[in-house]
Amino acid sequence: MLRFLIRRSLGAVVILLIISAVTFFLFYAVPRDPAMLACGKNCTPDSLAVIRKNMGIDEPIPVQYWHFMVGIVAGRTFAQGDCPAPCFGYSFANQDPVWETILDRFPTTVSLTLGGAAVFLFIGLGAGMIAAWKKGTIIDKAFSSFSLVLSSMQIYFIGPLVLALVVYNMELLDQPKYVPLTQDPGGWFMGLLIPWCVVQIIFTANYTRLSRSSLIEQLQEDHVRTARAKGMSSRYVFFRYAWRGSLIPIVTIFGVDLGSLFGGAMITEWTFSLPGLGTLAVKSVQNTDLPMVMGVMLFAATFIILFNIIVDAAYAFIDPRVRLS
Amino acid sequence: MSRVSIRSARAAAAALAAGALVLTGCSSGGGGDDDSKDSKAKKQGQDVSYTFADAAASKGPAPEVKGARKGGTVKILQRDSFAHLDPGQIYVSDEGALSTLMHRRLTNYKKVGDNKYEVVGDLATDSGQKSNDGKTWTYKLKSGVKFEDGSEITSKDIRHTIERKFAPFMTEGPTFIEEWLTGKGPADARKELPDGPYEGKHLPKSMIETPDDQTIIFHFKQPQAEVPYALAMAGYGVVSEKKDTKQKYDKKPLSSGPYKVASFKSGKSMKLVRNPEWDQNTDPQRNQYPDAFDIQFGVSFEDSTKRLMSDAGENQYATSFTNQVDASSMQKVRTDADVKKRSVSGYQSYVSYLNINNDRIKNKKVRQAIAYAMPSQSIVSAFGGSGGAELAGNYISPTLVGKENTDPFGKLKKPQGDVEKAKELLEESGKKGMKLTFAYQNAPEWQNFSVAAADNLKKAGFNVQRKDIIADTYYDQIGKVKNNYDIYHNSWGADWPSASTVVPNLFEGRQIQDGSANYSHHNNPEMDKEMTRIRAITDPDKAAEEWQKLADKILKEDVPALPMHYYKAIQLHGSKVGGVYFDETLHDIQPTSLFVKK
Repeated sequence: MLRFLIRRSLGAVVILLIISAVTFFLFYAVPRDPAMLACGKNCTPDSLAVIRKNMGIDEPIPVQYWHFMVGIVAGRTFAQGDCPAPCFGYSFANQDPVWETILDRFPTTVSLTLGGAAVFLFIGLGAGMIAAWKKGTIIDKAFSSFSLVLSSMQIYFIGPLVLALVVYNMELLDQPKYVPLTQDPGGWFMGLLIPWCVVQIIFTANYTRLSRSSLIEQLQEDHVRTARAKGMSSRYVFFRYAWRGSLIPIVTIFGVDLGSLFGGAMITEWTFSLPGLGTLAVKSVQNTDLPMVMGVMLFAATFIILFNIIVDAAYAFIDPRVRLS
Repeated sequence: MSRVSIRSARAAAAALAAGALVLTGCSSGGGGDDDSKDSKAKKQGQDVSYTFADAAASKGPAPEVKGARKGGTVKILQRDSFAHLDPGQIYVSDEGALSTLMHRRLTNYKKVGDNKYEVVGDLATDSGQKSNDGKTWTYKLKSGVKFEDGSEITSKDIRHTIERKFAPFMTEGPTFIEEWLTGKGPADARKELPDGPYEGKHLPKSMIETPDDQTIIFHFKQPQAEVPYALAMAGYGVVSEKKDTKQKYDKKPLSSGPYKVASFKSGKSMKLVRNPEWDQNTDPQRNQYPDAFDIQFGVSFEDSTKRLMSDAGENQYATSFTNQVDASSMQKVRTDADVKKRSVSGYQSYVSYLNINNDRIKNKKVRQAIAYAMPSQSIVSAFGGSGGAELAGNYISPTLVGKENTDPFGKLKKPQGDVEKAKELLEESGKKGMKLTFAYQNAPEWQNFSVAAADNLKKAGFNVQRKDIIADTYYDQIGKVKNNYDIYHNSWGADWPSASTVVPNLFEGRQIQDGSANYSHHNNPEMDKEMTRIRAITDPDKAAEEWQKLADKILKEDVPALPMHYYKAIQLHGSKVGGVYFDETLHDIQPTSLFVKK
């Protein structure tokens, strides 16, 4: 297990290095000058030079990259002040420290993604189980068709529709917003309820279908038949043997989906004007804000890789047949 | 404002609706309803007037807003976060609106009637006393005006406010006063005080004098007629000499206005609360009704429009400083009576121009042919029709003093373009069939326009090549002096209600350089000489008249660019927000008169 973790962690560092280099160098492939955007109306070559120096973009790109990467490990000093490790620098657009901004936005995205995941796992797996349990019946067909309809929906379509109906017309709920969980758990729950219900739609359908087919497959396995032959109740067999086995492909997909969930969160945050990492990423790209783009990219990538490692490790616990070595 | 972003330009495609008449003695902004009686009179020449006010008009308090009460919180929905809080770094309109609530300047604008404004003394007792043929301007400060820390604002703070703008870290604010004091361009002006006032040095007394704590005297190298306008810019908001923290001031500035920052999370939210040190008796323009402003960032135009249209729940208490109605909701805003009565509208400062690259197209007849061929109506339609845009006859915006309704190329009479005339001129020039590269931003409005324009140009006999350029890099591309395009559009807005920050920026030969606003590369020494002459005129009204004449002369004789449309905007507010009006000097809702209704 330890060897597995060490090996995967080293791999993760290599992946992150590649991502950082690609992002950094691609940024400069676009013919935009971040200094120009901060130069005001009466921009002169002199003031441009000053801004480039302030931003640290007056040096060759590989040197800038080196300083940036060293800053993450060892910290740096800027005109705005000291920037202790992990230092991603200061935003080009508003001079905010990148790392603090990311930490400030992170809880919104985590609340949105984990809450959304809880909703789609609950509904998706539940519906899949019922469909498998009632295989071939009208319930099964209804659930399967409904999931097909849902999977063809998009957040940017459903989001405004739900808002128009639930918030603007029926006035059942307030405008979605992020309130920190620690500050007001009730407000946190109510504020994110609509975004959770919307972000889950693109995933629920897949999980319903996956869990249904996986369960049906498991129910036909030899060990399940043996268990039945031993006289165990079908409910016991269903949950103790078949359901547990059916989780393996779901856990695999869930690990992969966490990445997509972040992407989904980005659109959801934008749709509901929630101040998370998604909206931060979009704004940073729009503002040609290199330090912020790099910070968000690396932060998100780290999390996605981390979740993948956790999911791989989790196999061993769910299925004893899987060996990490 | 030099550039109109795609988003804001798109949102400027606003339909007009009746402005809510909420201020005592004031009516709505320059827009008004399309169908209303006075809209025709306001179109084109809205006859806006500005006067430089005396001491009596500069006294506080500001007139009470009818029906206003103290208390409550106004929720503000903003698309973009504030990049700067340091007044010296503020130029764009988003921060400009915030700045009105937080930073006082020597002078300020005050609405006194329909399209009538006064430039009043804000920190100063009047709009300024000029002497020495307009080279010397003297300001006396009101006594008892304080920063939020309770310290009194003195002439030393004003001097510091100007001098710190010479420091290398100040890069985004206006530079007019610095240029006038030193008689040099923005880059060379800085060399007069390279470190700003931070190393103990000051500008010489031949530039700025502070004989006592209440008096500040500016000595400009040339006569200046528009000093009160320049000093009213957000970028000249006062900064405390004692509490200046250089770069860090941008995050924690000291307020001198009716509100101060209680919390600010960039990109997320800001809370403004009352500044108890602000004394309404010293302020002729601002009120202080709400207890707080609760600002949320990251709200797109689409989202804020939907929220404000719904008027549901907390949205009743909401409005925006600068978010406009998005194009897709225009029709609803125009037709839904409930929404319409919660809207205000008016002109933006921007005008769109179709530049003709004068380096590449030297034949005047060809330039005339292009100007006649252009279907200006297509761009007006692309921006949402008469609500979001208005046909331009000449270079001067209706928001500027001295605006005349001249129309040298008959764009108002033939908004679809005069292809026959264009054809004739092109044939006369002997350039029939010439290749014409037409660059435009890949935003829907400009793409739509480019199709109609190319069609007309082809009919006139040009071989048109359309070049669709990504919006993000568009201005970088056309801003290069050695670009490969023949015609391309841009937008430009004045810094104050005079064409002195329009005509030279767009058409003065010495301005030509990469990234400058002289996109057409117009360079005519005779016209430049005229600009120098008009700059020296000390009567602002006379100067305004002359700028209009010169602009028309350039358009008629040189045809460096064709004016296409004047931008307009419409904004919404919730039903519980009162005191809302469209301010032509801010080109947005004026925040200082807002209040929360019972």
